[in-house]
Amino acid sequence: MKIDVEKSLLWTATGAFLLFAVGAALTTIVPPMVSPEMWKSDYPVHEYTEQEQRGIQIYLSEGCVYCHTQQIRHLDSDKRRYGWRLVDAPESESWEYVNDRINFLGTKRTGPDLARVGGKYSSEWHWAHFKDPRNMGEKFPNRKGVYEKVSIMPSFDYLTDEEIKDLTAYIQTLGRNKNWRVDKDGNPLNDYEK
Amino acid sequence: MKQDTAAKTMIISSCIFFGFALTMGILTALKFVVPTVGDIEYLSMPRLRMLHTNINLFGWLLQANMGILFWILPRILHTKLFSEKLGVAMGVLYNLTIIGGLVCIALGKVKNVEYGEIPPPFDYLVAVCWVMFLINVVGTVAIRKVKYLYVTVWYTLGAVIWTTFVYITGNMLSQMPVMAGSNQANLIWFYVHNAVGLIFTPLGVAIAYYLIPKQLDTPIYSHKLSMIGFWVISFVYVWTGAHHMLHGPSPHWLQTVSIIFSFSLIIPVMAVITNFFGTFATAPRGKRMLGPIPKLLMMGTVYYVFTCLQGPFQAIRSVNEITSKTDWVVGHAHMALFGAFSYYAMAGIYYVAPKLAGRKLYSEKMGDLHFWLMTLASIPFFAVLWIGGVIQGFAWLNPENTFVETLAALKHAHWMRFSTGAVIFGSYFLFFYNIMQTFFGKYSEDAEVEAETVAAE
Ligand code: HEC
Repeated sequence: MKIDVEKSLLWTATGAFLLFAVGAALTTIVPPMVSPEMWKSDYPVHEYTEQEQRGIQIYLSEGCVYCHTQQIRHLDSDKRRYGWRLVDAPESESWEYVNDRINFLGTKRTGPDLARVGGKYSSEWHWAHFKDPRNMGEKFPNRKGVYEKVSIMPSFDYLTDEEIKDLTAYIQTLGRNKNWRVDKDGNPLNDYEK
Repeated sequence: MKQDTAAKTMIISSCIFFGFALTMGILTALKFVVPTVGDIEYLSMPRLRMLHTNINLFGWLLQANMGILFWILPRILHTKLFSEKLGVAMGVLYNLTIIGGLVCIALGKVKNVEYGEIPPPFDYLVAVCWVMFLINVVGTVAIRKVKYLYVTVWYTLGAVIWTTFVYITGNMLSQMPVMAGSNQANLIWFYVHNAVGLIFTPLGVAIAYYLIPKQLDTPIYSHKLSMIGFWVISFVYVWTGAHHMLHGPSPHWLQTVSIIFSFSLIIPVMAVITNFFGTFATAPRGKRMLGPIPKLLMMGTVYYVFTCLQGPFQAIRSVNEITSKTDWVVGHAHMALFGAFSYYAMAGIYYVAPKLAGRKLYSEKMGDLHFWLMTLASIPFFAVLWIGGVIQGFAWLNPENTFVETLAALKHAHWMRFSTGAVIFGSYFLFFYNIMQTFFGKYSEDAEVEAETVAAE
């Protein structure tokens, strides 16, 4: 029997489906089987508290992910830029995200990456920054000048005080799954300005 | 029910949505230069952006494509639409669904799926509409009166089948309770990339495969190239999702696989493009560029070449290091969805609307003007995003530059993007007015008589 695909609805449809299905299966179902670090971790990973989870919901509905990624790529430039006090930030790895039910890896850096921002600034700083990133008041005079002119982060002063606290609580957890900020003797400094 | 009601409903509403989508786009661009305008929750930049992408993808482009195909399919298959009633029901449900979804987005009730922010239950309703569309497409092919299936039909069949899985994976499976972290991200990027590659590409190409030979009155250049293009794309496109995570927290082997297949995409794309340009080249000179339709098709194809050459190169690790996460990506995405596929859709609407209205297009001149304004504005619009992206990418390499300094360097690029975007926005109204006049306007009887004689021929 000679099959003429171009005359047959069934064969065209089946052919298109089968060819597609190979790649579809191998790039969605197979990866978590071959690379279990995509969904499980051999190291302790932070479990979000209720407050932090509320923060995650705010991060989601305010769409922070459209301006901020959460991944230190495996590149020197990323590690250097998002480091802290001359310590390079370690690269992000799959296992660090296993508790992120809602992932915010992101695709666009209109603002800086936030993967390791937890602990970099005080919660007071975040408060002032969310209220108005262009003028954070007397206490943070270094935010004047160039920030005043070019920061294009929206001000989130329409969020309630509670909401800003929840959001900040979440932000402060970011990047702490790797113990990377240590002093000269190797003691962790991760709780800096919590 | 009257023939082509479904096509007409969907085409008209898609044109209206297009206007809203561009409004959101221009407002977003404004936020990049003056971040303090409209400083309220519902107009914050991320909300505008989500509205911009979702209105464009679902309200405008997908709907326009479905409307145009509702008209084209019965014509190539020498039959009627399988069920006009199902088509209209789907059109109405679809529009209500999209409006519901958009209201949710404006209120901040969203999923963390880029391009798929529309939350349940509306995303499930989109899937229901899609299945209704699938039934209509497959039904129409089944009751055809011709033996052979033309290329347009292959692509449409491919799209309806692939999209069903792609949409469900990205919007439903990715939200299942066991999904998290980079595993979830992988599913979402599978959707994001294939939304463009296996929904809009095949539908757009399907429309172009019908319009180019029809409009130019020239057979398609090469049947073999059509086949290569179609069968290769069905195999290679779907593998590429992970190229959104290059250098990122996802398995290295998966990234490499996506790079290899991203590069292989050059094959089907070049097959399609050679075919389109070949058809243009063999067409009679006088017809090649007459009126807005062939111009839009030609320019759409040119943009298609550019996007599809950018894609494979962006997926190379070293190039990706510079371009990824910058404005470059925004330029790339705009050239695919606006440059290539919206151009094809507009060409399709210019072609189908007069047929639906039973008379000539209201004004060819206005169509030409629309084309030129939109094109001359979109070239600098894309270019400035790429240039900005490359500047940003290289600036980030140097740790001496603070982040805000690298942002300051883009001030001019962002102004350019806003002003060229404004021209694109303005030229949309010429398109909209032209189409609405064609459907509903009163204009000289001459034109109608002429259309009748054309129809009689
Ligand atoms: C329009 C894009 C945009 C959106 C949306 C946005 N940001 Fe920003 N963000 C920026 C820019 C630009 C900067 C850098 C300038 C500055 O610090 O104000 C920044 C800086 C930051 C910083 C300081 C990072 C550092 O290392 O200095 C934090 C923290 C932050 N944003 C959190 C958020 C959160 C949380 C949200 C969502 C509620 C958000 N941003 C939404 C653009 C954005």
